Amino acid sequence: MRAAIMLGLTLLLLSVESVAVKLFGFSVTRIDVTLVLVVFLGLRANPVEGAFTAFGVGYLLDVFTGRPTGLYPFLAVLVFLLVRLLASFVDARARGLFALMAAAATFGHALLAVFFSWLTSLGGTGTVATLSGVPLQVGLSLVTAFLIWPLLLKLDPGHERPQSGVLL
Amino acid sequence: MFSLLKRYRDVLLVTALLLYPLGTYLSSGHRGRDPNFVDRAVLWIAAPIQGGLTAIATGLGDAVSGYVALRGSHEEALACRSALAETRAELHTLREAEGTNARLKAMLGYVESTVEPEIAARVIGINLSPHFLSMRINRGEDDAVRKGMPVVTPEGVVGQVVSAVGGSADVMLVSDPASRVGVTIQRSRVRATAVGVGDGKSLALDNAARGDDVIDGDLVITSGTDGVFPQGLVIGKIEDVRRVSAGMFLSASVAPAVNLRGVEEVLVVPLTASAPPAALLPTTRPR
Repeated sequence: MRAAIMLGLTLLLLSVESVAVKLFGFSVTRIDVTLVLVVFLGLRANPVEGAFTAFGVGYLLDVFTGRPTGLYPFLAVLVFLLVRLLASFVDARARGLFALMAAAATFGHALLAVFFSWLTSLGGTGTVATLSGVPLQVGLSLVTAFLIWPLLLKLDPGHERPQSGVLL
Repeated sequence: MFSLLKRYRDVLLVTALLLYPLGTYLSSGHRGRDPNFVDRAVLWIAAPIQGGLTAIATGLGDAVSGYVALRGSHEEALACRSALAETRAELHTLREAEGTNARLKAMLGYVESTVEPEIAARVIGINLSPHFLSMRINRGEDDAVRKGMPVVTPEGVVGQVVSAVGGSADVMLVSDPASRVGVTIQRSRVRATAVGVGDGKSLALDNAARGDDVIDGDLVITSGTDGVFPQGLVIGKIEDVRRVSAGMFLSASVAPAVNLRGVEEVLVVPLTASAPPAALLPTTRPR
């Protein structure tokens, strides 16, 4: 049920984002805040359910890129696991810390995406242009995480992160 | 063995979720895959949502701009009437010319080539990856849109359909780094390739020799040699031509004729269309 709600929310967010990018006339910069949901899953979901849902979130983003390659499902599951690992050292269940963690995750996600794209593209074309949009992306994730936190708590009121410190 | 699998089931599942997409990505690289059943289902759900959101946003924008436009509408109406009268006179002249043209063609035994009409589509979203510059349109396989079809506006070339499902299709923009278009400099007939730079704003001129006759402001049109775009569509204008002292090729930027960030309606050109319609051809002629 929680997975279905998360995936529904992802689909809605991605649709809004794709229309918003068109309205605002961005060229290279894209706005994507679905990683906030992956961070939330990393903090509160159990490993298998969280990994499946994170995979679903990444898969939807992959389809919304127009050229599904498998990169975003991989990165979403990776970010989910890294957030779980990080949460064993930092208790990020407060609103502010959640927002900061979402921003950090977005930054890491963007760098990894650029790295893997560079790895498989001819001469790394477009890499510099892509990096220029990262600060905006991080800022938007920070704001979205802060704003969406109450809604996420309502959707998932009872699940606290089990046994912090255990990756799987 | 089974007890071992059962014991490490969670670890194996999570590892598979991590490694399967990585393997897919590394094996397919930047090319991506054709839409499968699940992709189609997702797009089938998403396309109406995107279309609805676009319609709401456009409607709100039109309402606001319509209210603002009411100011001074009387003067505009008068100007429109005047322009309409001039256009009617011009239309009369063109009809005369068309009649003459038809008679001359008949005398020469000219065979009219069949060109299928373009498919008009609306942009319903920009795809969410900075690594692949593309947009989604509200026409797909159901409307005879197919992979590989060129996408244009009356101003010039927008891109190429890279995937089409039931009611929507994804269009790779000419500014994407993976985009290559065979072009001709209209004035000097020099052939080259227009390559996307990836910044979403410009293209680079590739394969033009240092000695070729290319200057700033030259109009770049499709050459038709790439097997995708019909000949004669406008790509943009040459900017910033540089000839370094060493090397075989010159470097130049091409400013796209179409505002790729603001395009709202496009035309998908069927693959059978051998020549672009007159409305899509450049208005300036070679000197």
